[in-house]
Amino acid sequence: MTELLADFIHTLRYTGHRISTSEAVLAGEVLNLVGYDDKAILKAGLSQVLAKTCEEKESFYDIFDMFFSMEIMNDSMIEALPEEQKSLLDILEEDDRVALMRLMAQAASPLNFSSIRAFLSPQGFISDMMDGMGASALDMQIMSAVSEGRMADAERISKAKEGLGLKIASYVERQVRQFSENARELKREESLPFVRLTAIEEYQMATMRALVKKMAKRLVSLYARRKKVSRRGHLDVRMTIRRNIQYDGILFNTVWKRKKIDRPKVMVLCDVSRSVSEYAKFLLMFIYSVQEVLPKVRSFAFCDSLIEVTDCFNEYDFEKAMNEAMLAAKGKTSYGNSLEDFEKLAMADVDRKTTVIILGDARSNNDDPKEGILKQIHGRARRVIFLNPENKVSWGTGDSEMYKYLPYCHKASVCASLKDLEALVSDILRRS
Amino acid sequence: MKNSVDAIASIQKAFDEHGYICSLQIATAVFLSRHLDKPILIEGPPGVGKTELAKAASKIFDSELIRLQCYEGLDEAKALYEWKYGKQLLYTQVLREKLGDLMDGATGLKESIAKLHDFDDTFFSEDFLEPRPLLKALRSEKAVLLIDEVDKADDEFEAFLLELLSDYQISVPELGTIKAKSIPMVFLTSNNSREIGDALKRRCIHLYIPFPDANLERRIIKSRVPDVESRLREQLVDFVQRLRELELKKVPAVSETIDWARTIVLLNARELNPDIVKNTLNVLLKFQDDIVNNEGRVRTILDEVKRKYP
Repeated sequence: MTELLADFIHTLRYTGHRISTSEAVLAGEVLNLVGYDDKAILKAGLSQVLAKTCEEKESFYDIFDMFFSMEIMNDSMIEALPEEQKSLLDILEEDDRVALMRLMAQAASPLNFSSIRAFLSPQGFISDMMDGMGASALDMQIMSAVSEGRMADAERISKAKEGLGLKIASYVERQVRQFSENARELKREESLPFVRLTAIEEYQMATMRALVKKMAKRLVSLYARRKKVSRRGHLDVRMTIRRNIQYDGILFNTVWKRKKIDRPKVMVLCDVSRSVSEYAKFLLMFIYSVQEVLPKVRSFAFCDSLIEVTDCFNEYDFEKAMNEAMLAAKGKTSYGNSLEDFEKLAMADVDRKTTVIILGDARSNNDDPKEGILKQIHGRARRVIFLNPENKVSWGTGDSEMYKYLPYCHKASVCASLKDLEALVSDILRRS
Repeated sequence: MKNSVDAIASIQKAFDEHGYICSLQIATAVFLSRHLDKPILIEGPPGVGKTELAKAASKIFDSELIRLQCYEGLDEAKALYEWKYGKQLLYTQVLREKLGDLMDGATGLKESIAKLHDFDDTFFSEDFLEPRPLLKALRSEKAVLLIDEVDKADDEFEAFLLELLSDYQISVPELGTIKAKSIPMVFLTSNNSREIGDALKRRCIHLYIPFPDANLERRIIKSRVPDVESRLREQLVDFVQRLRELELKKVPAVSETIDWARTIVLLNARELNPDIVKNTLNVLLKFQDDIVNNEGRVRTILDEVKRKYP
């Protein structure tokens, strides 16, 4: 019984449910209390201990149904029924499903379906199971029937054997599919965050968006707690005494200690020229998903000139806003021009609480880079972060002005995949 | 194993008798909580009967219901215990003369203080302890502890709860460790306004109470508002079930259905008609916007209901 539960929990973990050891132990206790008698009660009980959100419960019910439809019948049959020694042939001919199930389960238990990682050829499993069930005895019976001339008998027996083969094949396929599908899904989710953003295909966009959402949710829950730290509870003794000197030392007016958290102001400047626009899209997607913990974001898009796109993102949904932002992409990229525009638009707003993020490849078509403006920003802002999708070897080559900008950045890093973006956003949130 | 199935069925029956119609899920959760000594975390939309469940449970298991309503800024002092400062001050004032007697014979500061030390325990004894819900729950013989809207409390309180719910004991510095006489049955409710911390979730049995299906809702109305005739009951429930599918600011929950049924009975109506519905819609829909924006759809729903249950 416990092996079955262990397998079930293993399957659940495989499909992304986070189940701790203590919960697994609790599930075991539930199983001991409730048993297999009533499937509905077992389903309810296990779901209350193993699935702790609504989405988890939905997926739990699906997996439970898939897993326990055959297994319960097998195991409880093995325990409950007496050991009848029917021959395999009799079972097949009488179509005794219960006994057949029992035999299949017995043959399947030494095989480990959960160790399948990809849909390998199931033939190996099928032949192992056939042997385990005694199919070789059937062969002998066929041969003896043929040698004795009982052709009708031989026909009958080989038909039964074929039927057995089909049943086993479907059983194995079901088990394998259950495990391999989940494995593939997880693998996809594991590898996507590391893929270079320009290499993402259209059909993967939905998965990517879901991933961004997931990461954002995790970041929000990690950093949301810092919001409510302003406390009333510790008496600020010094201030209290000072304030009450006029009352001869009697503490009439109390002063409390308050811890204020200042939320960071973020300004994002995105290069939307063709070469970099993919990255800009994902960065903005990320920044706007964590709006709960980063409420004051101003975003700008630039190519040969700079425009502010904050309102677009506030009013329209993401797709439309992105399209609007891309409109800034006309003409040849000029970082100098764009920085000038930024100076006119928003320099006044840059203060020591602001974090400025610039996303671009710093390729300016040999224009005047105007790094003096970046120097000014560096002096006024809390942090300046430069994200460059190119590898570090390419920095400074050709028309890349990276090395002119580098001294005026607090941090300059390569940003090519979703993982990098996550690290960046996490960094901003942590340092504020 | 057989006994557990029977036990769960008998729990369901006991709830029924006390006026709380519960599903198999709920009965299983209650059963598990009692036998495994784990608290139940109940989540679900407002108005589905989370608090009612705790109240009914206290009646069934013959325990006193101790309720702690959580809010932002709730801390140990208000939840666990507090000293009766006023009483302590008052007593010291009143006994000032007595204090003089006690100090008799003591010369100098040191001796006086030593004498005082013998009595410091009096002012920090049980008499001056004001127990708050959590301490009351620990000291009670049989209790059902309801911690309502735990998602409104902040993280410090959650951490404090964790400690309490794992060992069921607390230490008061002046009185020592107080262990629970018998482990209370704990219900935590949450409206999901924020994510409850993982650690607390892992400790609990998680029960989700959704909006009921038509069958369950009919049984609830029958139990709570017995004066409603069966035809009217069917119409009522069907109407509300269809109403829930609309896009509303606040979807009507079971408590609204019960109130509506009572209203209709009060108005002596035998069946639903457009007038009655129009006049009493504000019992179901609590936002004026919802009523105004859905007038047409409400009429359509009423027609469909009348067609199904003429």
